[in-house]
Amino acid sequence: MSYPLELRDVVKRFGGLTATDNMSFRVEDGESLGLIGPNGAGKTTIFSLIMGEHRQTSGSILCNGEDISALPTYARIGRGVCRTYQVPRPFADMDVMENIRLGLMPNNLWQMLVRGPNHDREIELALSVGFAEGDLKRHPAELSMGDLRKLELARTLATGPSIMLLDEVFAGLTAGEISQIAELINQKRKEGMTLIIVSHDLKSLEPLIDRAIAMNYGAIVAEGDFAHVMADPDVRAAYLGGE
Amino acid sequence: MGIRWQHLAAWAVFIIFMLALPEFVSKGTLRTIIFANFLAIFAISWDVLSGRTGYISFGHPFLIGIGAYTSAILSYRFGFPIALSIPLAVVAAMIGGTLFFLPALRIRGSYFALVTLAFMELMYQLVQVIRPDITGGTRGISGVETITRGAVNNFYLSFCLMALVAFSMWLLMKSRLGTALSAIGMNEESVRGSGLDTTKLKLAAFMIAAFVAGLGGAFYVHYLGSIAPRALFDINFLFTIIVAALIGGASTIIGPMIGAFFLTFLLEYLRPVLPGAERYFIYGGIALILYMYQPKGIYEVAKQGWGRIQAARAGAGS
Repeated sequence: MSYPLELRDVVKRFGGLTATDNMSFRVEDGESLGLIGPNGAGKTTIFSLIMGEHRQTSGSILCNGEDISALPTYARIGRGVCRTYQVPRPFADMDVMENIRLGLMPNNLWQMLVRGPNHDREIELALSVGFAEGDLKRHPAELSMGDLRKLELARTLATGPSIMLLDEVFAGLTAGEISQIAELINQKRKEGMTLIIVSHDLKSLEPLIDRAIAMNYGAIVAEGDFAHVMADPDVRAAYLGGE
Repeated sequence: MGIRWQHLAAWAVFIIFMLALPEFVSKGTLRTIIFANFLAIFAISWDVLSGRTGYISFGHPFLIGIGAYTSAILSYRFGFPIALSIPLAVVAAMIGGTLFFLPALRIRGSYFALVTLAFMELMYQLVQVIRPDITGGTRGISGVETITRGAVNNFYLSFCLMALVAFSMWLLMKSRLGTALSAIGMNEESVRGSGLDTTKLKLAAFMIAAFVAGLGGAFYVHYLGSIAPRALFDINFLFTIIVAALIGGASTIIGPMIGAFFLTFLLEYLRPVLPGAERYFIYGGIALILYMYQPKGIYEVAKQGWGRIQAARAGAGS
């Protein structure tokens, strides 16, 4: 039985620091998994390892049964895995449509050269994440944090993912923006997207996930449904800092 | 960016003006323009690499020099026809571009710029000591076969070459490949995060830049009829290329062309007043003022001016 994503005994050390300590977990097809834990628990490192931005010290990462540990980032994205970042990283001198264009590009120089952009698809993606028609020609400097997150979601969705890793999607957003993004995530869930979501905003996260994994010091502390994980004494200790 | 008929009309007027130019100006001015044409080619090449991807090349004369030396040596020492030596020179420059590319796999920013500068200096030294019987050593090679004779013919040749290079680079940069190369300059990580192989894209940028630099270098040596290491692998030459691209407007095609013409004529008209290297102070000063006022260069200043005229006209009309 293969899973959309599976981590087996993954260890990542940065010098003397063990950021990921023998992590193993898997995500079911169409499942939404919440990854929680205090700052520095190693949540983002997991995302970087899955995307190949960092290489694990040992262990393996499987995507639909295939070991992707040695693949470069673009090849992993080609297999349907993609992520967003805690701090959005737009292309500053490009408008909304051009930013999305990058995500839509095939990883083939010849195709990039001879075939023009698909404006209809760019517009469709922009509107699907909640941009208005009037926003399409705006540049990142003119966008709010909520819009920047939407833009990053649109560019990420443009790569045609089946698994999305969302890193702190609610950080810096207004209540209105949070509900907008939450609605979008729920819609993707209904469409069958497999998700891993990292968030400190536990209240907003709860309705969006099927299962949660709590981490601390790079290792899994508790795993199961959200209420169960939050009730775990170790998780409470990790969050509250007490013993 | 839409292409309006005004753009086409402006280009048509410019081309007709350039083609008619030899009727009106002196041979000396034509020779100045020939240099401006070649400088524009080099600046476009620099911009394709550095203006777009943000990998600042301080060693462009290295690529130009490979093109120039290869074609000069093949035709002068080995009797190759120019029609063959130039394509081979372009290939050689592209191989040089691959070498140039290797450090870009690991480093960027000022470190990359320094490594490329080292490439240029290394080439300067090597050309003089390795097989001077072939490279001509310190004195270089003179008496290289020229493609055509006279200022007028060479003016047409260099202008057509520049126009061809500019047009094909414009087409290339308008494509999605061009968009992706510019995106690398803005945020390489995000390009990778969009599922694109940035190594492949950067290699493409280096190859395109090397192709243009090699082509320009080869034609240049067959215009000059001579080549010497000190004139080619020279820091002033390097900065003239970079400043031309920046002063005109980086990340555009027309910007480096404007910059090349502006700089060439500036340096030329300053010559009677300031015959020495002091001229470079003046252009450094102008470049500095321009960057402070409008870092996007002369092209942007002109565009804004044009926008204001349009707005004033619209205001007067309503």
